[in-house]
Amino acid sequence: MPPAPSIPPAQPLPGHGDGSGDPISESEALARLRQSADQSHQYYAAWWLGRHRSRHPEAVPLLLAALRQRRPRDPLAGVEENAVARNAARALGKLGDPRAIAELLAALDDEDDGLREAAARSLGELGAREAVAVLQRRLASGPRGAGATRSDSPRLQEPCEAMLEALGAIGVAGSDVLAVIEPFTSHERPLICSAACRALLQLSGEVRWAAPLVQLLDHPQLQVRRAALMDLGAVGWRPALEPICRTLAENSLKLIALRGLVEQGEHHGATIPIEAVLNAMDSLL
Amino acid sequence: MDSIGECIRAVRQADSAQTLLAATAALATSDHGDSVNRDAITCLVEVLGFNNPGAAVAAVDGLIRLGPLAVEPILDSLDPRNYGARAWAVRALAGIGDVRGLELLEEALASDVGPSVRRAAACGLGSLRLEALAPPPRASVRQRILAALLGGCRDGEWVVRYAVSVGLESLGLRLEPQPRERLQLLEALAALGQPELEDTVVVRLRAVLAQQRLLAMAPVEATDAQAQGEAPAAGE
Repeated sequence: MPPAPSIPPAQPLPGHGDGSGDPISESEALARLRQSADQSHQYYAAWWLGRHRSRHPEAVPLLLAALRQRRPRDPLAGVEENAVARNAARALGKLGDPRAIAELLAALDDEDDGLREAAARSLGELGAREAVAVLQRRLASGPRGAGATRSDSPRLQEPCEAMLEALGAIGVAGSDVLAVIEPFTSHERPLICSAACRALLQLSGEVRWAAPLVQLLDHPQLQVRRAALMDLGAVGWRPALEPICRTLAENSLKLIALRGLVEQGEHHGATIPIEAVLNAMDSLL
Repeated sequence: MDSIGECIRAVRQADSAQTLLAATAALATSDHGDSVNRDAITCLVEVLGFNNPGAAVAAVDGLIRLGPLAVEPILDSLDPRNYGARAWAVRALAGIGDVRGLELLEEALASDVGPSVRRAAACGLGSLRLEALAPPPRASVRQRILAALLGGCRDGEWVVRYAVSVGLESLGLRLEPQPRERLQLLEALAALGQPELEDTVVVRLRAVLAQQRLLAMAPVEATDAQAQGEAPAAGE
């Protein structure tokens, strides 16, 4: 299981601590998703099925139906179907069922960039090689196109961070893929640079993409340091052990990053044994 | 170095997160002997309730450094309505390792909503210091620690189960468990190390490492024999 993505999944009921939320049963979650009168129930149910990694045979078909119930965005609508669709897309990434790939792929071309973001992350989690061409196409215009800030919001034209991370997670390392990702390493936003370096390091294993990530651990903004921690963890870059331990951030995040160094790091840094990483984790508890 | 009075005044007058952090860090690293340290402890305990994570981390470090003297003031300050302060208090008590914190650590591991608090409690339970206790209370405290950690093996968060492995290792290495307790904790670690029962790789690796370290200290067969009341035969 890969470490958590750098943006935590939406949790409908904040304040429930560990995120396990309202204690409902699996059958209750399926029933809530099946009805369509109350969308907040659907929203919660979709999240619940992903969080609990439901193995029920109805879970994937119901989530696919929820993903299909999206519609063109209407800012005046109250709770949108699209919010349900986004949670369904996130849950489908966690259930590991390849039947979800075709619908998620279609969602990558949806008008709703929030849905494109959720679909990209889930396709990455599913390791869907089919998604590489679409992701390449959507990012091809580079930092000044896909990576430009929208006129109506601080968001970018494309959810670049999620799409870059998905390319890294899927693992198709063709030179055409690397060429699409590389320009984003000089994007003006450090979070995008971090995601691009992460993907390039995963795909090429070239040391030159590790240095910028390690540097970002000293960035003045906590949010950037957190993202760099998650990215180094996702790659499993063991040479970053010491810099990770020194980073000014919560121990919880450092522990997630170090978990990545243990679990993903076999091929990086044979000189740093697992026991050294475990010892570092012990001292952060 | 500033006098402790000046350090305390600086904490109480801090008007930004940054100045509070700096003042707390200065206070946390000052040391002027027990009588003055009590004032420092009172002030550091107050900082735990300020809803400023940076300053709270510094205050926890300071309280851990001041050790057993800080335990009563921390326990007296517990306010069920201030969750944040309580969570930091658990972390401080886990770090100090004083047995008076046992009950709070048990409660925290069993039912705190924050995984980072349960994680600190699990680790803290295994590192409680029992040397000063007479043998009968020591045995009962050790049983309570073991029971709390065995319960923590079923926690839903990987990081808590990881900390439970560390806690069990520490209990086994430091607290001289009875043979039957040793078997129980080795069984719990064996379960945390099995792919069929534990799906997080790093938890399995840590549990296996803990088993190896415990078995290197004393192979299980010898203690098993003692558990059944047999003296190991000469020459074995």
